Amino acid sequence: MSATAPRAFRQLGSDRVDPILVGLWISLIVVAVIWLVPVIFIVMTSLKSTPEVMSTAVFSPPAELFLDNYPLAWERGRYTTTFANSVIITLIKVPVGLIFSAMAAYALSRIDLPLKKMMFALILFGTMIPFQVMLAPLFSLVNKLGLLNTYLGAWLPYIAFGVPYQVFILHGFFKEVPQELSEAAIMDGASHFTILWRIFLPISLPVLAALFILDFVSTWNEFAMALVLLLDGKNWTLPLSLMAFQGEFGSDYGPLNAAIVTTVLPAVIVYLIFQRYFVGGLTAGAVKG
Amino acid sequence: MLLAPALLIYAVFALYPLIDVFVLSFQKWNGLAPVREFVGLENYRFILSDDPVFWQALRNTVIWTILAVLVPPLIGFILALALNQNLPGRTALRAVFYLPVVIAPIAVATMWKWMYDPFFGLFNGLLNTFGLEFLIADWLGDRRIALYSIFVGYIWQHVGFSMILFLAGLQGVQDTLIEAARIDGAGRLQVFRYVTLPAMRTSITVVLVLSLIQSLRAFDIVYGMTLGGPAQSTQMLALWAYTQSMQIHDFGKGSAVAVVLLLMTIAIVIPYMIWRSRVEEAAQ
Repeated sequence: MSATAPRAFRQLGSDRVDPILVGLWISLIVVAVIWLVPVIFIVMTSLKSTPEVMSTAVFSPPAELFLDNYPLAWERGRYTTTFANSVIITLIKVPVGLIFSAMAAYALSRIDLPLKKMMFALILFGTMIPFQVMLAPLFSLVNKLGLLNTYLGAWLPYIAFGVPYQVFILHGFFKEVPQELSEAAIMDGASHFTILWRIFLPISLPVLAALFILDFVSTWNEFAMALVLLLDGKNWTLPLSLMAFQGEFGSDYGPLNAAIVTTVLPAVIVYLIFQRYFVGGLTAGAVKG
Repeated sequence: MLLAPALLIYAVFALYPLIDVFVLSFQKWNGLAPVREFVGLENYRFILSDDPVFWQALRNTVIWTILAVLVPPLIGFILALALNQNLPGRTALRAVFYLPVVIAPIAVATMWKWMYDPFFGLFNGLLNTFGLEFLIADWLGDRRIALYSIFVGYIWQHVGFSMILFLAGLQGVQDTLIEAARIDGAGRLQVFRYVTLPAMRTSITVVLVLSLIQSLRAFDIVYGMTLGGPAQSTQMLALWAYTQSMQIHDFGKGSAVAVVLLLMTIAIVIPYMIWRSRVEEAAQ
């Protein structure tokens, strides 16, 4: 083969096919198949009737596609309500939180403020503190404000725990924007808000997209906070509904697995479509800082 | 003005509860009564000397954390090294390993609970098919193995996270350096030992610390699989703090448990932040 041939299976700077790399590739495929087994198993079970689940071998594919589990799971989990709640909570929280974070990141990187260093340290600290330890005080705070079982009562804490990471990442990005750009705009009489809106947000679109996707998935999946803040069944989000479903109909395997697929699918679709941004948003903060 | 909304919400809904959890840990309160009674160190005395579940939860959290720092990052590292080679379809392979990361932890718990089902689940079914009946177990019902069964689900979910961060770190290892080493006659292992590994030192530290912090938060996956049972054998600090406060309605004791967990986290986070700011200054 010539040097212009595809470089697959070759070590850097070598033209020969490397047998060890071929072996490595085969083992990777085997591991990947193992990694997919749970997903395949869940999807397959969701397409079997419960008696069929109990009478056939675990890995036999469904004799015929049994689709009734999905409408049944939808009805039992009251998914029309919970799906709507998840959508409303996520689609308002994510953009609003991101705008607030962008405003704060801009202020921290462009405006002279007292105690800036301390505020920044506080925010960095916030990216690493687990909210799981604060579930009880969070409950009593939201309760005192009379916001239990309301959208607002979910949005505000969600935003509070999303802000640190987003501010941290956006600040890292904004401080690289040339100083002259914003200074020139201020000379022309532009307000900070205009500069943010017209200059900073447009050039940071890829970062914003990455943070948006990341935040979408984590908000969609959030369970622990919802557990203490959304107590009434009619305010539940999908993860809460799935947990209740598991408790009530845990041995009705067909619909249970249909419920799992329904809960997970939106986040998986978003991930598959926006994979690139997703990975970018995650690594931007962790490795480069 | 621009700072106000984010800072205000952050202060009220994140920092205030953080302080309140400390205050609550010195009080006796059921979560609803108008008065919180100050009881000094009584809650701490109770959890440390009269609450066997606390020690069980602490022990499990320590075991869990050690495993979570060792296993998923190690697998993630190996996968990242492999996927950094010139292999066909590596983008698709990456996507497969990362997929579980985007699945809701509570859904992962539900999936695995069903796979562990003693009668119709995947694991016992497979063991049956392959004639390995003697290995069949009640994976989540047996106190001796339940914690580790949950942890296998945790590995499945978390390997992709370490892998992606390591892959990003490997981008920083310069190809020219590797090529030069190879021309100088370095073998595969030597290149790894003297070129790749030193260049990866920062990302390794980052991944280990992030894995550690994440493992201390383990909540959803235990809640969804066992609720801490059977007989508290899978109880963890985060879950026990929740259970004490929200189920037993003893906010004081629950908060004392939470403070212990919080202090463990802070003991890791503060040195890490100092280390990181040094690394960043050195890079500038």
